[in-house]
Amino acid sequence: MLRTNLFLILLFLSSVICLNNTNEEFEENLTIKSLRDGRVTSSFSFKTLFRDAVPRDPRTLAFDDDESQHYTLFPLSLGQILRQYAITELHLTLNAGKWDYDAWGYPEESDVGVGAELRAWIAGNSTISIDERWEGVRNALAGLFCASLGSLDEQRTTSPHRSFPPEGGLPDWDLPHELRHASHASEHVCTENLTPFLKLLPCKSLSGLAMLLNPHRIFDADWHGIGLHVLWRPEGVEVRLNVQLVSDPLRISAQGKQDWSFHSLFDRKVERACSVAKSSRVCVELPSSGVYRVFPEPQEIRGRNAFYDLKDGSEAWDIGTMWPTDFEYPLSQPNPPLVPFSVRRNLLGATQDRGQLSIVVTNNQQDTLQLLYLETMPWIVQLYLHTIRVHSDDVPRGDLISNISYVLPVPHARPSTFECVLTLPPRSTLTVSMDVAKAFLRYTEHPPDAQRGWDLPPAIFTPLLPSSNGSTAVGSRVYTPSLLVDLATPDFSMPYNVIIFTCSVVAFIFGSVFNVLTRKFVIVRLNSPQNQPKDSREEPVDSKKSTS
Amino acid sequence: MQQWPSYPKAIGFCIVLRLLLALSLDLYLSPPSLDAYSSHNGDKVVQFINDGPGLLSASSPLTLYANLKESLWLYHHGIDPYGSGIGQSPLYLALSFFPSIVDHTPINSQILSKAFEYLLWTIPDAFSAWFLVKIWTARAPSSFKSSSSIAFLLPTIYLLSPYGILPFLARSTGVWENAVLLGAIAWACDHAPNFKSKSLLLLALRTHLSLDAFILLPPLILLLLGSPESMLAEPRPFALRAQFTVFRAAGSLVLEFMAYWSALTLISTLIVGHWRWMSATWGASLSLPSMTPNPGLWWYFFTEMFDHFRPFFLVVFNIHLLMYVAPICIKFQHDPLYALFILLGILATFKSYPTLSDHGLFIAFWAIFPEVYPYLRHPFPTFLVLLHSALLQPLFAHLWLSHGTGNANFYYASTLVGACAGGMAVVDAVWAGLRIAIEKAGKDVKEVVEGEEMVVVTQQ
Repeated sequence: MLRTNLFLILLFLSSVICLNNTNEEFEENLTIKSLRDGRVTSSFSFKTLFRDAVPRDPRTLAFDDDESQHYTLFPLSLGQILRQYAITELHLTLNAGKWDYDAWGYPEESDVGVGAELRAWIAGNSTISIDERWEGVRNALAGLFCASLGSLDEQRTTSPHRSFPPEGGLPDWDLPHELRHASHASEHVCTENLTPFLKLLPCKSLSGLAMLLNPHRIFDADWHGIGLHVLWRPEGVEVRLNVQLVSDPLRISAQGKQDWSFHSLFDRKVERACSVAKSSRVCVELPSSGVYRVFPEPQEIRGRNAFYDLKDGSEAWDIGTMWPTDFEYPLSQPNPPLVPFSVRRNLLGATQDRGQLSIVVTNNQQDTLQLLYLETMPWIVQLYLHTIRVHSDDVPRGDLISNISYVLPVPHARPSTFECVLTLPPRSTLTVSMDVAKAFLRYTEHPPDAQRGWDLPPAIFTPLLPSSNGSTAVGSRVYTPSLLVDLATPDFSMPYNVIIFTCSVVAFIFGSVFNVLTRKFVIVRLNSPQNQPKDSREEPVDSKKSTS
Repeated sequence: MQQWPSYPKAIGFCIVLRLLLALSLDLYLSPPSLDAYSSHNGDKVVQFINDGPGLLSASSPLTLYANLKESLWLYHHGIDPYGSGIGQSPLYLALSFFPSIVDHTPINSQILSKAFEYLLWTIPDAFSAWFLVKIWTARAPSSFKSSSSIAFLLPTIYLLSPYGILPFLARSTGVWENAVLLGAIAWACDHAPNFKSKSLLLLALRTHLSLDAFILLPPLILLLLGSPESMLAEPRPFALRAQFTVFRAAGSLVLEFMAYWSALTLISTLIVGHWRWMSATWGASLSLPSMTPNPGLWWYFFTEMFDHFRPFFLVVFNIHLLMYVAPICIKFQHDPLYALFILLGILATFKSYPTLSDHGLFIAFWAIFPEVYPYLRHPFPTFLVLLHSALLQPLFAHLWLSHGTGNANFYYASTLVGACAGGMAVVDAVWAGLRIAIEKAGKDVKEVVEGEEMVVVTQQ
């Protein structure tokens, strides 16, 4: 009896300790917004803050024994990776689809480049070099998320620190921090990536907002992506897991209405709140015009946003918006782009050995705009910078491109990094074009579906905003869609034939040359045997001329 | 005998003809317009050649004009042009002292830069033709001396054949390489004051522009010590003087060459500011980082090569080039110019990034040795095979890369046939060069025994 009581007391105490653990906080958030074209974006954000934690100092990597890792809410498997490779800041996104900035505006989470994108800020000056740790972390994450992140190797790794400044802080260790960035546009996000992703959440998908993450619906959405962000702030280490999707209720609805609800979008409701979450909020961005009904009644309305706290109430939550009329696509009225600038990127040219890269940027504002343009090209496409031509509204303006920095590609080894600042006059269209050369690859370097072509990573545009202290701060990044480049392919079926043919020709010529070089020319008299030369090796032959 | 015009007239005529062709092509492709910025510089002609008749063959990555301009642009903007591990010699960066070649913005500098470009690619070709004539006059056997037809034909073959015109129109730096090499050979034949130093300096320069010229050093040294005159018919051992003096003279020439070569290396390093340019220029021609197709044999072989055998075969192909040097120099020690000619043919067929310029040089050199023509075994088949490959190469390259109806095998097959033509020409040249020696002896015999029937055979 006493033993049982003691056990219960211990159990109670431990649960109290767990629940009152003030070191770690978990918040979850969902923002839902109806878009102009009838689609709905949902942005889930699951934030875990580990208070007073600091990233591992890479100088301690020399000693094997790291401090013990005790986490309650913070995902252990992720924490282990971060500590083993002493990563200060980490961003991983896996997206599919093309984010339409003009019609959808800026996304809640700005990293919407297609495919896989991984970047990390890593402090140097350790016994294990930055590149070794970068390789380690991408392999570890590949294992954790079941994604082909191992292919983000040195052939895709760049360091464009101007476009990707650290989002959190960098600890003051007197160590140089370096950025490693890699993207792989052909990587597709799938259920197998979402399952390990959900395992990192304290409530998994059993309760709270994560209940809505139904893979059948997420991967059916027009645009979907998952992301992992780890950053350090003075108050602690923050891990943010997010899921973003753009669903099309018009496609699902039978009547052509843009009504949506948790049930219609995700085929699920929030049955119960996540008990360890400090807050669990849903924010519905209200439409700017028209007649609509938001249900259930919002607990709070601030500006154009309706808020719900899922920790209140015990019944299942099925939040949604209804319109009395059918959706009419706004064809008649003009649709000004929702972003300050719009970008188009194309690869021109019909041949497989050369082409032209063309970027068209339109400034939709009345103010001059400065953009940081980043291109991380795999070495298979070589840029010819001497052919850069800049036109503003069809007038040549070489002066609008400045601050060019360029890291040359190395064949079979390193991509090129091209960064420059573009200045866009008010309400103007800037065209940047340059010639490119497409490489010829070894036959083992081609992917299995070689004729399909290669996906080139998206270009990234970052607005430079003039700030008070004279320097420029970066605004929200804009990713262009990826490009497909058509490379010349060798014949994959005949390596043996080529080796045999070439070797035969070389051997034949080599043999013939040396055959002639080692021969001795002699005269043979055919019809006068009495005048036979003294050289005993010379014999009469009947053939006219023999070369063998 | 028909009177041929003198060779300066021939060179001038050919140059004017080529310039007219280039200018009319230029005008046709980019009609003069006020929008000078969009019709930028003479690249239209270069593009036309590189996409059309000279696709893949007019220039290799190591002689491509666009790559040269890119290096100049990067150098001009303070970016290391050798960061990519493949590039042209740093000596070309001296061209960036003429900013007009890099920057085309104002209209007047555009016209200037165009004229400057034409000048830069016409002068070396004019010099090449002149050097060829000089080599011929230094060599011509007395029986041919009276005829000036070859002195007229040489510049015409070199300047007006497609092998000369296409690299010129494509602004391939192979044009420069040929001019420097021909200069080295011409001065080696010349026996003017300081001819040895001039010749060695130019060969060192040529080695800097493209590493393959190293294998021409032994025959050039033989040429400097011997004479360019045709001795094919009267072979005799090289050692005219005492062995020791010859070795000492050859040694001092090698040392002089190395001195020039080191000086140029130092200059290059000073221009670039680091030593890594060596792996980007010389290393590139040894390790084949770019698989861009060319009329040679390497590109498809190493495209299709299994990864673990690649280093081995790179070594084999490089050593293969070196293996010809000693036997050919020994066998043709009595006529080093002929040895040089055969090695030029070997280079054009077997080097890692051959272009039309290399083939053009080998073909033009044939005109210098008219004495061997009667002894060629199969000149006509060789010519037909060459013609076959030369006509099919641009066609198949176009079908593969632009039209999309052929594949790599088509172009590979045509380059293979081209290599066969090169090989046939080299083998025939070796045969004829050795066969001619027996003729003198044969004639002597003939005089003694009238009406006797004879054959010449070879024995192992």
